[in-house]
Amino acid sequence: MQKDTDTKHAADSVYDRIERAKASLTGPQIAIAVALVAALGFTLLFVQDPMLHDSLHNFRHSAGITCH
Amino acid sequence: MATDYLERGAMAGVAGGLVYGLFVATVGNAFTAGLETFEHSHGGGGPVVSELTTTVASIGGGVLWGLLFGVAAFGMVYFFLEPAIPGSGATKRLALAGAGFLTVSGAPWLVLPPQPPGVEQALGTETRLAWYAGLMALGALVAVLAGLAYQRTDHHHTAVRLGAMALPLALLAVPVMFAPANPVHGDVPAALVAAYRWTVVFGQLVLWATIAGVHAWLGDSDTPATDDLDYPATAD
Repeated sequence: MQKDTDTKHAADSVYDRIERAKASLTGPQIAIAVALVAALGFTLLFVQDPMLHDSLHNFRHSAGITCH
Repeated sequence: MATDYLERGAMAGVAGGLVYGLFVATVGNAFTAGLETFEHSHGGGGPVVSELTTTVASIGGGVLWGLLFGVAAFGMVYFFLEPAIPGSGATKRLALAGAGFLTVSGAPWLVLPPQPPGVEQALGTETRLAWYAGLMALGALVAVLAGLAYQRTDHHHTAVRLGAMALPLALLAVPVMFAPANPVHGDVPAALVAAYRWTVVFGQLVLWATIAGVHAWLGDSDTPATDDLDYPATAD
C-alpha cells in the first residue's frame, strides 16, 4: 500500500477530498444533502400511494424499472 | 468548495433531466401507453389517475431522475473520487457516467431487463427488488474494481490498461448464472418487447451522456480542491 501510488497522488487524492469535506462541511449540511437524494429516489421509485404511483407509471417503465 | 461541486452536479443533472423529460414526453409516454393495450389486468382495477396526469407526472419524473443522478453522481461521488477516476476532462465525466449507468441500470438489467406493460413476470415484486438492489451493489463494485485496475496498471500500454479495466466485468456473469428463472407471459410480440427494451436502454444512455457532457462543459472549479488545504497531511 505504501508504494509509488501514494506519492504520485500526493497532490490530490481521495483521502484529501474526504479531509476537505470534513473541514468545510457541517454534519447537518451533509445530512440534508443525503436526505434530499434519498427522498428523491424514494419518491420516484418506491412510493406505493396509488395516486403518485400510477402518475409515475410511464416514467418507471421508460426508466426500465417495473414493479408489477 | 464541496458546494461548488454540488451546484455543478445539480445544474448538469437538470440539463440532462430536461433532455430525458423530452424523451419521456416524445417517446416514453406514447410507447408505454400504446403497449398498455396488451395489458389484461393491472393488479386489480385500473389506474386511479387520468392519463393526462400520468403523462405530465412522468415527464416531471424524468426531469427529477436526471437531477437525482446529477446531484448524487456528479455532485457527491465526483467530488470525492475525482482524483481516482481515469482520464481527464470529458473522458473523466464519461467514465463516471458509465459507472453510474452500470450501477443503476446496466448490471441489474442483466437479470431483470426492462419490461413493457402487458408483460407479467413470474418472480414477485419483493424478490425482484432485492435482486435489483443486490445487482446495483455489484455494478458499483465492478466499476470501482475497474477504476482500481486502471490505476494499478500505471506505466503500461493503454491497451493493457483498458483490458485490465474490462476484467472485473466478468463478475457480472455470476448473478446471471445463479439468478432464479423469471419466465414472463403476455401478448406483446417479442420483437416489440425487444424494441421497447432497447429504447429504454438508449434513453438511459442519453441521460447519462448528457449529464456528463454538460458537466464537462461547465468546467472545473477555478481553485483546485487542495489549494487552501493548509494543514499537514498526516500519514500515521
